[in-house]
Amino acid sequence: MREMEQIIILPYRKVLQIAWQGMRIRLLKTFLVTSCIALALAFLTFIMCSNGMVEQLGERASEQLQQRLAREGLLEQLLSTEQRSQTAWMLGIALMISFAGIVNAMLISVTERFREIGTMKCLGGLDSFIVKLYLAESLFQGTVGTTIGIVVGVVLAYVEGLNRFGSEAFQLLPIVTLVQILVISFVAGVVLTVLGALYPAWSAAKMEPVDAMRSEV
Amino acid sequence: MASDHIISARDVKRRYMMGEEVVWALAGVDLDVHRGEYLSIMGPSGSGKSTLFNMIGGLDRPTEGTVIMDGHDVRKMDLRQIAYLRCHKVGFIFQTFNLIQVMTAEQNVMLPMTFAGVSDEEASRRAREILERVGLGKRYDHRPGQLSGGQQQRVAIARSMANDPDIILADEPTGNLDLKTGEEIINMLAMFRDEFGKTIISATHDHKMLAASDRVVYLVDGKITEIKQRHELKIEQGGIADKKAETKLSGRQ
Ligand SMILES: Nc1ncnc2c1ncn2[C@@H]1O[C@H](COP(=O)(O)OP(=O)(O)O)[C@@H](O)[C@H]1O
Ligand SMILES: [Mg+2]
Repeated sequence: MREMEQIIILPYRKVLQIAWQGMRIRLLKTFLVTSCIALALAFLTFIMCSNGMVEQLGERASEQLQQRLAREGLLEQLLSTEQRSQTAWMLGIALMISFAGIVNAMLISVTERFREIGTMKCLGGLDSFIVKLYLAESLFQGTVGTTIGIVVGVVLAYVEGLNRFGSEAFQLLPIVTLVQILVISFVAGVVLTVLGALYPAWSAAKMEPVDAMRSEV
Repeated sequence: MASDHIISARDVKRRYMMGEEVVWALAGVDLDVHRGEYLSIMGPSGSGKSTLFNMIGGLDRPTEGTVIMDGHDVRKMDLRQIAYLRCHKVGFIFQTFNLIQVMTAEQNVMLPMTFAGVSDEEASRRAREILERVGLGKRYDHRPGQLSGGQQQRVAIARSMANDPDIILADEPTGNLDLKTGEEIINMLAMFRDEFGKTIISATHDHKMLAASDRVVYLVDGKITEIKQRHELKIEQGGIADKKAETKLSGRQ
């Protein structure tokens, strides 16, 4: 029996073109998902930055600021153990919200397209094509959403800082800590988005096309 | 192996588990499909038409038995060979059209060609040519949401023809359409058989959609109960519309 031929592997340029076209036409949904990612990341970065500032109050705040805060009873409150455990809680919640929000948004956005994935497989699309398609899409949404979210979160944290600590807010957070926060947030946002998309996309891709097309959401 | 059989199914079985219960959606089907024929798979809902459709088209693998397509055993193919088969050898048409919603009619028809490695210019030229053939020459830039059911199904037909496959597989292609639009779709499939020698395999539960068939396979509970040739069919088609036509004819004589 003669060997059956194999389908070609699509070049990346083609995959990107199809991904981009889909996101453009699905503009509202792309926007909603990206906003969801941005929101989660804004919350996370905001909490991390503003916690970072408070933690440094004892060491980096000037005498006057410390005295003023002490007078208002704020310093004691901010550095109290209850406040600290509350801060840890907030951070935990921020992490959970980011995780659940992003993963949920991606899960919905992919599962509602299971039929499309099945159809593409019927037309000769390979599993790897499906995975690359959603990788491209989620990388884009993850990068844009995370970047916007981080900028918003940092700006809001400094606005709050200015409000509470005056212009000293800018020197409270050491540069190293700020960079750490930015890197951690960025990696967390992008990785969560990509994994949130790839997991359902991959499970749909490896199904037989009929099964993917049958699963209605 | 006789080369006029484009598909040979031998003792094909497909089992589903419904919890503890075993359902044999196909309970041993033998079927040879001739090159260039219009074969209808007829049976009530739940008789296993879609399951058979999936087996023949390489959309699912049989639990037991073999499907030979064009000399190749579908069960022995790897993923890239199956994808090649779906892309080049078979064109699929579904009851629910299954067009890609974010793509225009033209892009939908181009997609299988893209998967086949055809350049954009060539794919676009060919897509418009096929859309012209199915009467949608002016609608190439419309997305599925902007088209009627009948028009969407014609885009799906055009898409199934994209890579010039030998076989067109249609699962209840008229199921979501009114009678007149359904007949147009059936006639279009028959046209592709007549003009290009395509093998058409179409599942239906509607007697009115058998008119173009060369052969009808009757499926009940996952088994073929009867196979009828075209001339045997004529007698069977005792629909009211046919009777009227007959009386008219005989009245004129
Ligand atoms: N994915 C599935 N899981 C369980 N049972 C199924 C599945 N697909 C089909 N069946 C069963 O197999 C039988 C045949 O189904 P199907 O091929 O869809 O029939 P038809 O297309 O003729 O309506 C039915 O009893 C159906 O319930
Ligand atoms: Mg069916």
